Amino acid sequence: MAHPLAGHFSVDHSARLMRNYRYAVERTLRALGGWIALTPELSAKLLMGRHVWDLAQLADAFGARLPELRAHAQVSEPANERVVAFMDAVEEPEAPGQTVERLVGVYRVLKPHLLASYHDHLIRANPVYEPPTRRLLLRCLGDERRHIAAGTTILGHLCATPALAERALAWQRRLEGLFAAAGGVTGEGLPPAPVDTAQAPIETSDDAREFVRLEKPLASWPMPEDLRAALEAFGGSLAVPNVGALARWLAPGVSLDPAREVLTAAALTSHRLVAFARLGHQRLVKWRLAGPDAAVTVLARWAPGPDGWRVAMLDVGRIEALRPALPRR
Amino acid sequence: MERPIAYDKLAREDRWVRMRAREVAELKIAQGFPPFADLSSPDSIRERVHGILVGEIQAMEGAGRTVCDFPDAPWEFTMDMARQVWDESRHVEIYLRLLEHLGGYPGEFPETTILWRCACAEDAAARVAGVNRGLEGLACDVFNQLVHIARKIGDPILERAVEFVLADEITHVRMGSKWLTKLTEGDPDRRRKAIDFQENIDERFNLGGVRRDGDHEAVSISIATDVRRMAGFTEEEIERLVKTTQRSQVY
Ligand SMILES: [Fe+2]
Ligand SMILES: [Fe+2]
Repeated sequence: MAHPLAGHFSVDHSARLMRNYRYAVERTLRALGGWIALTPELSAKLLMGRHVWDLAQLADAFGARLPELRAHAQVSEPANERVVAFMDAVEEPEAPGQTVERLVGVYRVLKPHLLASYHDHLIRANPVYEPPTRRLLLRCLGDERRHIAAGTTILGHLCATPALAERALAWQRRLEGLFAAAGGVTGEGLPPAPVDTAQAPIETSDDAREFVRLEKPLASWPMPEDLRAALEAFGGSLAVPNVGALARWLAPGVSLDPAREVLTAAALTSHRLVAFARLGHQRLVKWRLAGPDAAVTVLARWAPGPDGWRVAMLDVGRIEALRPALPRR
Repeated sequence: MERPIAYDKLAREDRWVRMRAREVAELKIAQGFPPFADLSSPDSIRERVHGILVGEIQAMEGAGRTVCDFPDAPWEFTMDMARQVWDESRHVEIYLRLLEHLGGYPGEFPETTILWRCACAEDAAARVAGVNRGLEGLACDVFNQLVHIARKIGDPILERAVEFVLADEITHVRMGSKWLTKLTEGDPDRRRKAIDFQENIDERFNLGGVRRDGDHEAVSISIATDVRRMAGFTEEEIERLVKTTQRSQVY
């Protein structure tokens, strides 16, 4: 049996590991903070918003441990250039359609690895003279387990189609390759996932399920029946497009010309009402029209009048090409 | 990562309708509605709460960008801003639930982005002055009044939840005052510019006389002088704000 005072880490080595962890955690918290604005889905925004502060506290705790290990406080340091390249790759997906890639990088690749690294460090840190490090790592383990569980819930919600699930997996494999080449966050290799988390069922976070619930759109919007009928007729004529049928709903002075050009330029086969907002007595109605390879958003402001509901303003967005937003690397 | 990002990069689900604040105000006035939801009916309270929800989302996004955009700022600054991201994300959840409580839904009213635009200032000092002192100051006014109205109409759910959010906002204003001073130490020019930016925002959010000094039930947005004092605004600043509301333009 090893001597109770036998140790694996020197003070300098321990300090370097703190700086390595801090580097990954600091970059992650800044990326999560920056992504909130770039991410459309509310559930993912809330997930990121919650974790920015948790990670800031962990980075702060690593940074505060440093002077206790004869090093400068609050310093981050990558283990090697490949770790920098890995973090660059994690940060890369910035387009609105790449929420899945953003979450995969953090919650399926980086965090499970951090969990394994903290655990590996914890079991090797000396229990007699390294309790400050051990306590800190225990706290990190708890936070990371909670984060991974929440991230898994949101990713399960967002990977709604087999195509998305496949895209997520492809991105995960790519990042895992980069991370393995870097030797993980410490540059010392990838420790195996700790047994306790591999076998125990993943703790489900009620919070993340609430985020998903709060994001759920209404089944149907409350609206007067005559408006509902008008929107059904108008929406149905948009995708065809049936210009004559559309014109019947326009208020005097509203032209169909700018819309006609866009609607006839692409093959649009389906229409879906996606937003319904109130503006005084008027209503703002948004449709999403989609075809095999293009989509467009149509916004109309409907006003009640003596002849019933009429379109007082019609705005057709730009045609978007429908192709999966694949990561570059 | 792109730093800072352009205004129009703000990402939303399809269910939101984004419009210019001026256009929303004009269309409402044309229909005989006040430009900014007063708190005179359940409908207008719900509209105000929806507006606050949108503001909280943008506040969370703005604070998140500040964490991301200034990696070279003092670490303590990042800590305060990260804390604010957490607070704002809880505020978003609170207001989503309050909206549910009031029978509304996200996307029920158009979203305007003047708040977010203010959060896009390139200098960190200007951002904390504008957002944490200007906009969070406005939040103090709005929430303080909402607590009062909730108490009056007998809605303890609304009253209690908003009271806790208000407590957080007071903390955010204090953070703003602290970092405006620290970041501009020894640089009076930078400080002046940051304060100008904040004053510009204050002026814009007087909303053409909608925000005024007065009784909660008599004015659309009443200036929360006591709360502002608690948050660290000086008597001089409060007096200046009250004065500007008496001559402010429609935005
Ligand atoms: Fe807030
Ligand atoms: Fe705030």
